Amino acid sequence: MLKMTHLSKVYRTEVVETYALRDFNINVNEGEFVAVTGPSGSGKTTFLTIAGLLETFTGGQYHLDGVEVSNLNDNERSRIRNEKIGFIFQAFNLIPDLNVFDNVEVPLRYRGMKAAERKERIMNALERVGLASRAKHYPAELSGGQQQRVAIARALAGSPRLLLADEPTGNLDTQMARGVMELLEEIHREGATIVMVTHDPELAARAQRNVHIIDGQVVDLAEDPRFHHAVHAARGNAPA
Amino acid sequence: MQIKPILSALRRHKAGTFLIAAQIALTLAIVCNALFIIQQRVAHLSEPTGIDEPNIFVIKSEWVGAPAPDQADAQMRADLQALRQLPGVQDATPSNSYPLRGDGWDDAVRLKPDQAQDSSGSTIYFADEHFIDTLGLKLIAGRNFRAEEVGHMDMRYKLAPPLVMITKALAERLFPGDTAVGKTIYLIGGPATVVGVVEMLQAQSVEHWASDFAYRAVIIPERLNVSLGTFYIVRARPGQLDAAMQAAAKALFAQNPRRVINDDDGVLSFSEVRSRAYERDRGMAILMGVICVVLLAITAAGIVGLTSFWVGQRRKQIGVRRALGATQLDVLRYFMTENLLISCGGVLMGAVLAIAINLWMVTRFEMHRLSLMYLIVGVVLLLLLGQGAVLAPALRASRVPPVEATRSV
Repeated sequence: MLKMTHLSKVYRTEVVETYALRDFNINVNEGEFVAVTGPSGSGKTTFLTIAGLLETFTGGQYHLDGVEVSNLNDNERSRIRNEKIGFIFQAFNLIPDLNVFDNVEVPLRYRGMKAAERKERIMNALERVGLASRAKHYPAELSGGQQQRVAIARALAGSPRLLLADEPTGNLDTQMARGVMELLEEIHREGATIVMVTHDPELAARAQRNVHIIDGQVVDLAEDPRFHHAVHAARGNAPA
Repeated sequence: MQIKPILSALRRHKAGTFLIAAQIALTLAIVCNALFIIQQRVAHLSEPTGIDEPNIFVIKSEWVGAPAPDQADAQMRADLQALRQLPGVQDATPSNSYPLRGDGWDDAVRLKPDQAQDSSGSTIYFADEHFIDTLGLKLIAGRNFRAEEVGHMDMRYKLAPPLVMITKALAERLFPGDTAVGKTIYLIGGPATVVGVVEMLQAQSVEHWASDFAYRAVIIPERLNVSLGTFYIVRARPGQLDAAMQAAAKALFAQNPRRVINDDDGVLSFSEVRSRAYERDRGMAILMGVICVVLLAITAAGIVGLTSFWVGQRRKQIGVRRALGATQLDVLRYFMTENLLISCGGVLMGAVLAIAINLWMVTRFEMHRLSLMYLIVGVVLLLLLGQGAVLAPALRASRVPPVEATRSV
């Protein structure tokens, strides 16, 4: 589903080159739930923005659903984002001027879908996250957990091949975070491929697989003993 | 296609939306009416006089002292002979006034001596047998005055010429569907027989009060002696206007130096006469034009300002839309559509306001009713202005990268 090979991302200024990702390799299979972890500044978010075609990369190869994306133009990247990727952001990123229904509708409109199909998909997605009754509410009238559920509904409504979640519970309290996480697990059980960026070992422990990044490269989780132990502690077992 | 969510979003920004729509409405209302006034003034500016303007000039010769009527008439005839002998002059005629002069003699015309209500107002031009040729008028019926029919009178005499010529406009007013030649009309002093009809001759006044009889004139076969002096209308041969103007004043002084011909307005080409006559109209048209341009510029600046502010405010939102699949064109289209919707609301209000302002001016200032064409032109102009003004900030918005969605504000 998602395969990055020797991928690099360099931020250049006049005086310095900074490698956000260096010789980065990852392979996520269809139906997997992968947690991408690492300390702050390790390159997690850069990985996510490249994976979601929000940014271009400097070198290497990236195949998304079998398509090499490095040569795609802006319109083609937009179309792939719209049709194949569902985003769940830490800050929810709902549009405050639109109600819940209209927020979920945004990506579907860009797909040029007919109104009747849009409505059906929106209501299905809202029912799935338990917010069908709040369709006419505005984001400001919802709790943080509810807003994130709306964001998940927005991501699901387009039936994406890949869900990318960036610290999806980062702005939520424990109870709301648990609810959102359970929802993601449920979505995964139904067959979705999920890549979740998090620095929370408890959340990472609930994913099928952990990919740990340090200094822009994928490393063995054991190279970060504190995080390694925390993940295993969350799973209720000791590291090997 | 994006209209419903855009309207929904605009409802959440009522103040800014309303202010821009109101600005567009006010601009449309003022611009429509201003353009209408400009058009009327410009049309007024270009109304034809019916005379050979490019070759005509006018001399205002004032007497020194107050010559007796016979003495003044003899002087006038001598002056005219001197003028007609100049090589660059085609013809010359005396008159109390001329088209676009401003002041002159207006009088009532009746068809019966005991008629209570006037049949028409009319400009009165005093002239001799050279009047038609000098002014380049077209005689369309009857005949010109004969030399022996031309007399002289002063302001104390009653206006009772035995025969007159009239303009076509007056003939049609007095005798619709019938020939005017041979008919009798009544001036303030008595009856006069119409011997000729000229196609067109404009009144001396271009003011609104004279518009009812703008082209209705009676030409009297008399040289009018006014104690102050007289006007000589001179027609130069083609291409010799400047030379003839210079030679004319010299010829008059050579004939008799006891006269005053002012340096500034003693000898005027007809283009200068026209320019002076319409100075106020031209000034009003320019002022209205400047007001239109300033208003349009302010409205455009308002749209640019508000849209730029909204683009800045919604940068993250634009990034989210891009992340969710919006292309650059989608974002551009969003802001263009948003502006179009606001502008449509504005022009709708503006159209009502424009009509209301016009109706108010119709009742207060005797303006004409606003033509629908001006409203349509104004609406199209404002919509295009809106789209033009929003283009730069909308393009800026379309260039917001999708990665903006992941950045914290």
